[in-house]
Amino acid sequence: LREILNGTSQLSSLPLQILFYVNGIYYIFYFLATLAMIIYKSQAFSYPDEFLAPDLAVLPIMAILEVLRLYLGVKGNLTEEEAPLGLSLAITVSSAILSVYFLVWQTYVLKADVILNAVLLLTYGLESVLKVMAIAAFVS
Amino acid sequence: VAKLCVCDLLVAQCDVNCCCDPDCSADDFSLFTTCSVPVVTGDSRLCSQKAAVYSLDVEANPPEMIFKLIDQVNPSIFCIHATNYKQALSFSSPEMPTSENFDRLLEQFGSAAFSAEPDSWNVNTDTPNASDANETHSYQYGVPIQTVDSFLRLPSPVVSSWCSDANPAGFLVNQATRCTRAVSVEKCGDIQALSMLFYINSSILAVSTKQLFVFQVNITVQSVAVQSLNRTRTLLNDSDVLRLPVILDELCLNTVLGVSYHITYTDAGEIIEAAASFVLGAINKAALSIQQSFEISFTQVDTKPVPRSGNPGYVVGLPVRAGFRLQGYPFPGGTLLANANNYSPLTILQSTSEQDCLAAQGARTPVLFGYNMISGCKLRITEAMKCQPLTQTLLDLLKGQSFPEYVASFGNSQAQDVLDWVPITHLHVSEQSDSERIYHIFQSSCQIPVSLEIEVKWTKYGSLVNPQARIVNVTATITTTTVKQLPSGRERTIPVTSSVVFTDISSPAEPGYKAWPTINAKLPFDFFFPFV
Repeated sequence: LREILNGTSQLSSLPLQILFYVNGIYYIFYFLATLAMIIYKSQAFSYPDEFLAPDLAVLPIMAILEVLRLYLGVKGNLTEEEAPLGLSLAITVSSAILSVYFLVWQTYVLKADVILNAVLLLTYGLESVLKVMAIAAFVS
Repeated sequence: VAKLCVCDLLVAQCDVNCCCDPDCSADDFSLFTTCSVPVVTGDSRLCSQKAAVYSLDVEANPPEMIFKLIDQVNPSIFCIHATNYKQALSFSSPEMPTSENFDRLLEQFGSAAFSAEPDSWNVNTDTPNASDANETHSYQYGVPIQTVDSFLRLPSPVVSSWCSDANPAGFLVNQATRCTRAVSVEKCGDIQALSMLFYINSSILAVSTKQLFVFQVNITVQSVAVQSLNRTRTLLNDSDVLRLPVILDELCLNTVLGVSYHITYTDAGEIIEAAASFVLGAINKAALSIQQSFEISFTQVDTKPVPRSGNPGYVVGLPVRAGFRLQGYPFPGGTLLANANNYSPLTILQSTSEQDCLAAQGARTPVLFGYNMISGCKLRITEAMKCQPLTQTLLDLLKGQSFPEYVASFGNSQAQDVLDWVPITHLHVSEQSDSERIYHIFQSSCQIPVSLEIEVKWTKYGSLVNPQARIVNVTATITTTTVKQLPSGRERTIPVTSSVVFTDISSPAEPGYKAWPTINAKLPFDFFFPFV
């Protein structure tokens, strides 16, 4: 039944897919911008090594998690499986925590940091809502 | 921010044109023209911060000061929104050194330039550390001579003239020091520096090293001389007995007055022998301090040092060498005896702090080439003095115990080359006019020598570019004066002097002219060919 396309509703969520696509592009920009700003901060302010190391370590971890998250989300959404989508939701939570780190617990939080992370968190929130709806649609 | 005021320099007084000064009243503000500090803010890189703005309203009468506390906003998107690092925007106070972090701080801040990475910059200290950790080093010039527990000490005056025992003797550094030591007769056994044991108890390490098993050299006692209270010295025959200070009859005997170390070394830089010669003396109850003199000299093994006073000409400041002719040798081909060490300078009387000639201890100072010297003392003549002994005493005083007969012409004259030695000419001059002399012939008069003047004539010898000093003539003139018999009870004081004068009798260089050029007008030998 699910394979009949016309007439039967498609369970994959289109808005979620669009959001994933936009998120991917935005994240690349976010990653480069945050890296550049950490480099700028280390030159412009006094940034001792014990504070620079955690900030520089969190960023690649976040990038890896993001790639994983987006891949799982896209796969789950397109194959209409709820398992990868559920896993992607779980990873979204940890990505959100890392984003909060960059927003609040970083050594130097610039206004640009605030803007970037706020937008990212907003995207995460919207995605989470759409993922929950998609999982509900797949399960039922 | 509202409380910060950079221009408030006077306490409890109003600073002029300082709008933020809390000591200023409204009347003071009326005298201001501007505000020297218009804005006080925190770090301008923060996104929003408080700022105190001071301005002077000159329109109002009287002028008043307006203070506003505003929020200043930094429009850039790179302004600091928050920091989680407390010392981010202020200067950090340095760490307090404690015993745990002292080494690390010393490494980081101890050199001329502070290094954030102390380990990577110190490349040079690695090599010396590795090499001298457990290796033996032969002594080098200036390195302190090590003994079993610390260093070989040569007490010397440091800031004042009091002896400091912390001065190490340097290898190959010949030193002679003199310093004052505080003493007391009651405690003379307790003061370590007064006993011989203090100077010879630790043995010297043959090489400079920190290893456990190193050849040690014991300091042997070479000779012991005892100086009595009237300053005469006698050399003792048995120098093996260790003499420690003893208290006897309000005197403390066997106290060390002088030590002379002689160290023998090899050409590899190892010490193989060490000997010490002592001068022991006695101190009486009244003495609060004594003067100790120390010296150290180094000799290379299997060599005999022959000090020269110049090579070949005399060097200014070095002693004039002199000697005697051995008895029984005819003059040409004979040899001169110039003391056991081949070193015997010409000496004159040395002025001491005691001005009385008869109490002088016979201290003599060597005559240094080129330095004119004069010294003397005062002679007190009483009625009881006899003429002949007095004359003899004064002659001994002026000339010394062994006045030499010959003086070396060059600084490096050998004793075998008799022709290199100049005989000393003696002259006697009487210090009185003719009439007085005739008068005194009829009276018993006493002629006593009162002055010895040594005149050394020297010349420049050798090339014009590097002339060498050569002594040509030495004349010793003794001046005598008549001493009249004094009425009883009266005393007379006569000054006695001795002096050395160096005169340069070198003839000046004469200009030489080139020969006139000759005209070499000769016909070639085959001019008349073929007729000749």
